[in-house]
Amino acid sequence: MTSPVIEVQDLTKVYSGGTRAVDGITFSIQPGELFGFLGPNGAGKTTTIRVLATLLRATSGIARVAGLDVGTHPADVRRRLGLAMQTPTLDTFATGRENIELIGRMHRVPAAELKRRTDELLELMGLAQVARKMAGTYSGGMRRRLDLACALVHRPEVLILDEPTEGLDPQSRIALWGELERISKDGTTMLLTTHYMEEADRLCNRVAIIDNGRIVVDGSPAQLKAGIGADTVTLQLDAHGPEDLARQQTNVRDQLHGFEPLEAVTPESFGVSLSIRGAGRALPDLMRSLDRNGDGVRIVGLAVSQPTLDDVFLKYTGRRIRTEAADQPIILGW
Amino acid sequence: MTAVIGDLIYESWYLGLRTLRRFYRVPANWIGIIAFPLIQLFVFSQLFKDIIQLPGFRAGGSGSYLAYLAPGQIAFTAFFAVAWSGSSILVEYRNGYMDKLRATPIRRVSILFGELAPLFLESAVMAGGILALSIVLGATIRTGVLGAALILVLAGLFGMAWAGTSFVPAFLTKSEQATGTLSLLFFPIAFMSTAFVPPALMPGWLQTVNAWNPITFLIEAIRPLMVSGYDWAAIGKALLALGILGTVLQSATLWAFRRLTA
Ligand SMILES: Nc1ncnc2c1ncn2[C@@H]1O[C@H](COP(=O)(O)OP(=O)(O)OP(=O)(O)O)[C@@H](O)[C@H]1O
Ligand SMILES: [Mg+2]
Repeated sequence: MTSPVIEVQDLTKVYSGGTRAVDGITFSIQPGELFGFLGPNGAGKTTTIRVLATLLRATSGIARVAGLDVGTHPADVRRRLGLAMQTPTLDTFATGRENIELIGRMHRVPAAELKRRTDELLELMGLAQVARKMAGTYSGGMRRRLDLACALVHRPEVLILDEPTEGLDPQSRIALWGELERISKDGTTMLLTTHYMEEADRLCNRVAIIDNGRIVVDGSPAQLKAGIGADTVTLQLDAHGPEDLARQQTNVRDQLHGFEPLEAVTPESFGVSLSIRGAGRALPDLMRSLDRNGDGVRIVGLAVSQPTLDDVFLKYTGRRIRTEAADQPIILGW
Repeated sequence: MTAVIGDLIYESWYLGLRTLRRFYRVPANWIGIIAFPLIQLFVFSQLFKDIIQLPGFRAGGSGSYLAYLAPGQIAFTAFFAVAWSGSSILVEYRNGYMDKLRATPIRRVSILFGELAPLFLESAVMAGGILALSIVLGATIRTGVLGAALILVLAGLFGMAWAGTSFVPAFLTKSEQATGTLSLLFFPIAFMSTAFVPPALMPGWLQTVNAWNPITFLIEAIRPLMVSGYDWAAIGKALLALGILGTVLQSATLWAFRRLTA
């Protein structure tokens, strides 16, 4: 077995104010994995990332990047790491190109190589047209992409992205997903945080759900969803009035009596929804059962939905994930 | 050791270029710096035109009050160039750009050097602007181009040294408002200096104070370069005064910076 690229053991961070932001988390990321941290506001995602990026000292526990302890070998860790924080951080009085080049220089990318990579990244991120404009004039989406380009300029082994699609419109989000998938395919190990279920589901090959500074559960999206069990099949019924609807609902229940994958039947205003294990495979049998056992059920619509990570989050934390975002806390001065 | 120095120079160079860019791309910066000294030069030279008749001035050899005022306004300009120098670095500390730099494999102090070193150039260039304007208005520069260059070096060194009065409170309080508080000490110190009247016209206690006033040393080194010729003793004293001032203020800055980024 190859050694993990990121290895975290029993990591704890207590801020000076007493907030226990990260409370003993353990996980590891294998080379080439795209690992997602999914959790609500204040879960401790950014804190964990800041420790891994050598920007914050852990209170206790171990954090290693490429086998190097972040506390004792910060410079070596930084050389291997590409980082984009939750809020894009750019030099607003510098052009897009200048922003990328400065970070490249700090990473000692040789001049000719730097020029080539900068051109390439500007092209890749769709910023070639605005490369000579001040970053301060960029839109939110352009800032995100420029920030990502900065994180990639030295070809890092590990890419850490804190909420990379926060504040993007749906179209830009999907475009960025495509970008991230491509970077991942090139072999870069990636850790990203998100509070979008859809994002974790679509992008990550492994997800850890983090809540209150602890990892509640981790696994591949499919594993996590399988842990939930049944899919939902909703049947829309053509009924004349409430009595007819009730009658048809009873018929469905009767006709499916003994249907093995069925877990529950719930009457709904539009018809009925069924909890069925492996609904995809069970569907033909389901239809046959309903058909064989006579009529009295008029199905006009059918939908199958698999459990979402939202359901997973709900199951393990007892809460639905909130989707509003929060920035890092403002550092108050005097 | 040499590798460390090489790293520091390389990193500070590119970070410093960035700082310079940020400075010159905002025209308000250089207008704001030069406006007040220019107004002082212009208004005071008219208002106190005849003050030059007083016996204390004759000895200095300045032909007009404007010529007497100009060296002090060069110091004022260098001051304005650095009075709020702590604010940009504080803004970037707050918005996370400093973290972005710190997550790259550079030495932490390079970030500070990249802010500090360009202040030499900014102060010197701005001082050059006011020097040129004062010559247009009637001041002289007896020592020519070389003397002018020497004046700009002195102004640049003063700017770099004085920047510490903005950096230290900025780093310690993390408040933009604080960046311009301690540095404003320049005003009382400059008004007590020989920027406006020669020591002969001052009460005894002020003369004593001026024996220790770094701004007086700076001005008294610049003035001969403009009105008479090279006064190496005065230049030596100014360099020593600026050296001490710079060492004290910049050591404090370094300490405060380490504290901020600990
Ligand atoms: N610098 C700080 N000082 C004190 N407390 C902090 C600091 N940064 C974060 N915290 C606290 O630590 C907890 C975890 O914050 P963190 O930023 O890691 O959460 P997050 O998972 O990134 O949340 P979000 O989705 O909102 O970005 C929160 O309760 C937060 O208030
Ligand atoms: Mg966060």
